[in-house]
Amino acid sequence: MSEEQTTGTLTSYLSFKMGEEMFAADVGKVLEILELCPITKVPKSPSYMRGVINLRGKVLPVLDTRIKFGLPKTEDDVDTCIIVLDVNMDGESLHLGAVVDSVEEVLELGKKDIEPPPSLGNTFNPEYIHGMVKREDTFIMILDVDKVFSTDELAVAKEAAEQKNREEKIEEKKAEKEKTETKKTEKAKK
Amino acid sequence: MEQFKKKFLEEAADLIAGLEKALLVLEENMDDKSVNEEVFRIMHSLKGGSSMFGFHKMDSFTHNLENIYDLIRNNKLKLSREILDITLEAVDHLKILLENGDELSKSDEKTHNELSGKINKITQNIQQSSNEPPAKAEAKTNEQNKPASDNLPAVDEIPTYHIIIKPFEKIFKNGTNPLLFIDELSSMGHCKVYAKTGKIPLFDKINPELCYVSWEVFLATDKSTDDIKDVFIFVEDSCEIKISKIADINLPAKSLFVKDLDNLMRDDDFCDTYKLKELAKTVVEKEKPDDELELTKAKNVTSLAKKTAINNIRVASDKLDNLMNLVSELITTQASLSLYAENNENTELTSIAENIEKISRQLRDNTFEICLIPIDTILIRFKRLVRDLSQELEKEIQFTAEGTETELDKSIIEGLTEPIMHIFRNAIDHGIESADERLKKGKPKQGKITLSAFYSGTNVYLQIKDDGRGLDAEKIRKKAINRGFISPDANLSYKELLNLVFLPGFSTAAKVTELSGRGVGLDVVVKKISDIRGEVEIESQLGVGTTITIKLPLTMSIIDGLLVKINETYFVLPMTAVDKCYEVKTEKLQNNFNNKIKLDENLVPYINLRKEFDIQDNMPDVQQVIRVKHEDQNVALSVDNIIGEYQAVLKPLGQMFKDLEIVSGATILGDGTIALVLDSGKITNTFDRETIKKREEVLKAKIDRENLEKS
Repeated sequence: MSEEQTTGTLTSYLSFKMGEEMFAADVGKVLEILELCPITKVPKSPSYMRGVINLRGKVLPVLDTRIKFGLPKTEDDVDTCIIVLDVNMDGESLHLGAVVDSVEEVLELGKKDIEPPPSLGNTFNPEYIHGMVKREDTFIMILDVDKVFSTDELAVAKEAAEQKNREEKIEEKKAEKEKTETKKTEKAKK
Repeated sequence: MEQFKKKFLEEAADLIAGLEKALLVLEENMDDKSVNEEVFRIMHSLKGGSSMFGFHKMDSFTHNLENIYDLIRNNKLKLSREILDITLEAVDHLKILLENGDELSKSDEKTHNELSGKINKITQNIQQSSNEPPAKAEAKTNEQNKPASDNLPAVDEIPTYHIIIKPFEKIFKNGTNPLLFIDELSSMGHCKVYAKTGKIPLFDKINPELCYVSWEVFLATDKSTDDIKDVFIFVEDSCEIKISKIADINLPAKSLFVKDLDNLMRDDDFCDTYKLKELAKTVVEKEKPDDELELTKAKNVTSLAKKTAINNIRVASDKLDNLMNLVSELITTQASLSLYAENNENTELTSIAENIEKISRQLRDNTFEICLIPIDTILIRFKRLVRDLSQELEKEIQFTAEGTETELDKSIIEGLTEPIMHIFRNAIDHGIESADERLKKGKPKQGKITLSAFYSGTNVYLQIKDDGRGLDAEKIRKKAINRGFISPDANLSYKELLNLVFLPGFSTAAKVTELSGRGVGLDVVVKKISDIRGEVEIESQLGVGTTITIKLPLTMSIIDGLLVKINETYFVLPMTAVDKCYEVKTEKLQNNFNNKIKLDENLVPYINLRKEFDIQDNMPDVQQVIRVKHEDQNVALSVDNIIGEYQAVLKPLGQMFKDLEIVSGATILGDGTIALVLDSGKITNTFDRETIKKREEVLKAKIDRENLEKS
């Protein structure tokens, strides 16, 4: 009982690095960490899908977290590795790999250590972030793993998302314009 | 007890299915005594089992049902369509009873009472009417409980069996009443029963929970040993049963034999078969002194009966799934062994690896075969559907099935029933015309639906053919234009027009009936079939009929494929689609404006997979072109290298790639790398220029249409 209480207040998080940013994910969601291995690219799949790997006889889809998060692409190096995650997608458990720049450490955090994500001025979409933790001089963003990896969007970086939105809006406007134009011509024909 | 009950449930489900089948056969030929006999027999076994395992509602229900068929059997009731209707309804209800036991929901309870009422009415009617000519009929009704053989002509030429029933002392613990078996045996033919009571202890030492009595039964019946064994099917584990055939004639009917037997039976030991046979022999000799041949024959048959081994076993289907998985793993492992052997030039190892490859291939084929079940198993449902619907719609329809022995993987069969039912419903409701309409058109009054199944290569084809009114291509075109599926000036071939009916939201029937035509139409069928990797095709001629063809893979988990490579990635193309391979210079493929290539003097459209998959690195000078078949059309696919034949164990790519149609799965190669299994049909649909062009036209037409409507 007492054990449960102590672990109940403290949760373990695995922190990893992407460029200069630090992220963390609930250890309960992490199944294992793999060294980077050859990844079979699947043609015609979304850009953030790195491909599939053979995980002891099972086919595991692997995402490129950098692209998913809207960060610039870099070359893989010795620190690059794959975190195998157990993601809940529409009520079903799904295993997938996420390529990250490097894995850092396991943090033991209590509830009070985690601050809610600031609603203003952050570069990342708060919808996918569980909270923030201050460590020395940097902030670590705790990800809502289920949400981040189960969406089809590449949408963690707000900027990227906004950029996309803007593009979409422009496209919509264009389409509307075209529609009205075709209508006009049709009317003219009539 | 639970284990017996489970066994009973399985058996009963089989019995009910058998009953349904027999009833449908009976419907075709109402005077067939042997089928009626079978119906009766099945009901009887059901009744016995259900009472034994506490399905009381089912017990009394089948008892009443059985009465009807007993009356028919004894020529006291004429089988009518009405009776069959009620019986079939009752069969459906039996399924519910079996599932729910005695606890029924309110609506089920209502049907239970209604049906019971109907059934009782039939038997009451007959019993009343049979009272009118009192003398003979009454006597017969009373005889009902007596051995059935009394009603049969006393046949001399039926074999006699000697059956020893020795229940274990604890048999009462699971609620079995051994006397029921004796009853059942006596209903099978002429029979003489002796109880062995020698083991019963003195009164003060009796334990009422134990069974002390055993029986010896002499049964003359035309049923086989297996049929007799069936009586004891639920108690095999709690009884010692010995069945042996002692003569080819009806011994219990011979007074001479019975007399000797009575003497023998005073003894408390069981008679040994040899002694009995000797006895039988003397009887036979006295009766027919010359016929020694008969006797030797009797002996031969006995020894044959002893040798009868178990031919079939029941296996839980998840065990088969497990076996299948293990075989898949084995093949993957075997592939790595073969690869390892190839890389290490050790002749001994190579020969072992080759052997293992051979054996695992055989094992694979055998396992597949085990998992295959004939289409026959789902046929009964279709028969029933045709029957019920044709009655409801007052259409006369004859249903025939061909090639029902064709076998398919059980997982495919499972996914197949629903879509086929849908097709049938369509055919009956919209396809086949009413009798009057048919006569006017000069067609036979009776409509015809045929289901035929056959193999072709590694595919199974199922064809559902009706001779109804067929599809009106013009009507389809008008409707498609109306709904905005195609533009008014779209030039579609006849086949393409027909294929429009597979689009979601397309329903050609002018009126919506209860049965079909609710708009959830053939698109659902297509979806369901493609879930099990099948394809649907439609052919139709106006006024003549419609044929729907379903093409299915033999199995879903392992396919024979051609392993190819583009740059660093391995791909597998299903062998069934591959026609021929050619070698072509890369520049020929690149500098080609209409994407056609000359292969064997024919111009074939080709798809440059490097280009479509966006792979630029390491362009080779010479590429391989593989000609594949897709819907009567040849398409060439270009790859870098052809590695060779490969047995691919299909693994799903999972949720993340669910929208990716061109890749049907992945497989793991011997060295652990992943190869992607391509769906050549989908590739053609996605990348072939002409196909795309047509689709774009359709799409454009739709948008235009919408815009027009808005303005």
